[in-house]
Amino acid sequence: MDLDMVSYLAKLSKLNFTEDELKKAAADMTSIIDIMDTIKEVDIVYNPLADNKNMYLKDLREDIAKDSMETEKILQNAKHSDNCFVVPKVVE
Amino acid sequence: MDVSQLKIRQLREMLDKKEISAAELADEYIKRIKEYDKKLESYITVTEEIAKEQAKAAQERINSGSSSALTGIPIAIKDNICTEGVKTTCASKMLENFVPPYNATVIEKLYSENIVMLGKTSMDEFAMGGSTQTSAFAKTKNPYDLNRVPGGSSGGSAACVSAGLAPAALGSDTGGSIRQPAAFCGVTGLKPTYGRVSRYGLVAFASSLDQIGPIARDAHDCALVLNAISGCDSRDGTSSRLAAENFAAKIGMPVKGMKIAVPKEFYADGIDAVVRDSVLSAAQKYKEMGAEIVECSMPSLKYAVAAYYLISSAEASSNLSRYDGIKYGHRSSKGDSYSELVCNSRSEGFGEEVKRRILLGNYALSSGYYDAYYGKAMALKQKIRAEYEEIFKLCDVILTPTAPSVAYGINENVTDPVKMYQADICTVTVNIASLPAISTTCGYDSKGMPIGMSIIGKHFDEATIIQVADAFEKNFEIIPPRIV
Repeated sequence: MDLDMVSYLAKLSKLNFTEDELKKAAADMTSIIDIMDTIKEVDIVYNPLADNKNMYLKDLREDIAKDSMETEKILQNAKHSDNCFVVPKVVE
Repeated sequence: MDVSQLKIRQLREMLDKKEISAAELADEYIKRIKEYDKKLESYITVTEEIAKEQAKAAQERINSGSSSALTGIPIAIKDNICTEGVKTTCASKMLENFVPPYNATVIEKLYSENIVMLGKTSMDEFAMGGSTQTSAFAKTKNPYDLNRVPGGSSGGSAACVSAGLAPAALGSDTGGSIRQPAAFCGVTGLKPTYGRVSRYGLVAFASSLDQIGPIARDAHDCALVLNAISGCDSRDGTSSRLAAENFAAKIGMPVKGMKIAVPKEFYADGIDAVVRDSVLSAAQKYKEMGAEIVECSMPSLKYAVAAYYLISSAEASSNLSRYDGIKYGHRSSKGDSYSELVCNSRSEGFGEEVKRRILLGNYALSSGYYDAYYGKAMALKQKIRAEYEEIFKLCDVILTPTAPSVAYGINENVTDPVKMYQADICTVTVNIASLPAISTTCGYDSKGMPIGMSIIGKHFDEATIIQVADAFEKNFEIIPPRIV
């Protein structure tokens, strides 16, 4: 796997890598993809209709309004909050 | 009093006969943790105060004569299971200070039995690994040899039970994370059928494969914990609607006449001879008990590791996209824009292996590669399931090694991701096929390291694999680790 591909994946993954880290990741990913490539020799196609037999969609809960968790609890793990989650300015 | 090798049933009897109080029992374990866990590093958080409070409540229930199987029993919890008010770190800097505002369903269920929680155990970061050496906080050692890994990802849970720092623990298993550390640490670990135990409050790794299960001293104790944590939960849409049952019901029933399959690929090159010989000699013991050994084949096993890593990493890359540093988790002090802040928080919070899995998952799901990797892996999942269905037409349970080797040295495999991934060959198909499996000790190598074997059952047939494991355990002598 080349550095361009790893950079692209890093961007998709919202991860920053230094140049050295990118090189290491490219080497690791190359040997990992070598194992993953073994499945290409199997000639089969996924049948999505055969899956999800055990989903219980007919047992969905009634749509009843209930009290939600208190705001204080929801915000207890946010590093920056002001009765809401605080993020950097996104609109000029 | 030495509680280190006592089983839940023995502790139950002592508590009910008032030979020991719940507080005294909790104290015995806390003392052992203080004495041994500096070397072992099996716990990330020890909840001594909570244990004392819970022991009081448990004692009241015992005194009132209404104790249930786990009332007053000390239990350790893997640190990816949410415990309200108690840090749940997933052994990651990302969640170093995360205090869940709610309990996982399994915790609610255990609390309703009045267990005593001893603490939260170490693991590979976000359950990604088989050594517990990717933990950001406690790189757990193997109680049988402190220079070796305990396995993983539930390495803290397995090591603490093995060393007698808890009589039982909860782990989670996505590709072998309960069974492999149980095997490495010489204890018994059960991965239930997918859907048997609610995943609500289990920090998600790969949602279609994750399952919570017990690690204990034997199969019977695993059954008692499974009895307490299983059952339908409306908060987990994949939890089974099947009625809860008594998983200890078949214990003591003879295995005579039972058919036990040994798929040849699980005993091929790549499995250490000492492991293969030990598991095959266990098969011989079952034969002597009157079971029939059936030879069979699983041709797709050679593709299982690839299929597993593609599916689990794809799901992980999606599940871990929630960590943005804003609502909870590590938030970087750098980043002027929203996007920069998210990238910096994730880059600082996640460790190397987690980043690798996210990259792999996004590769498998990205445009142009989806059909070749994710689509093909999902097709293989169906093929492996079909092969299991064929094998189960011939047998009641399947017997395999739990891992290709005994526990290896710290730093031996852990820097080579490919070697680490390939070591999961014996366990991943069980998760891919959503089956239940139990690992128990079947021997020791020349250096005294435990060897584990796995008994795989049909969907929702945990009672039978517990029965089969128990039949072996009754005739097998456990050699406790040297640390005790």
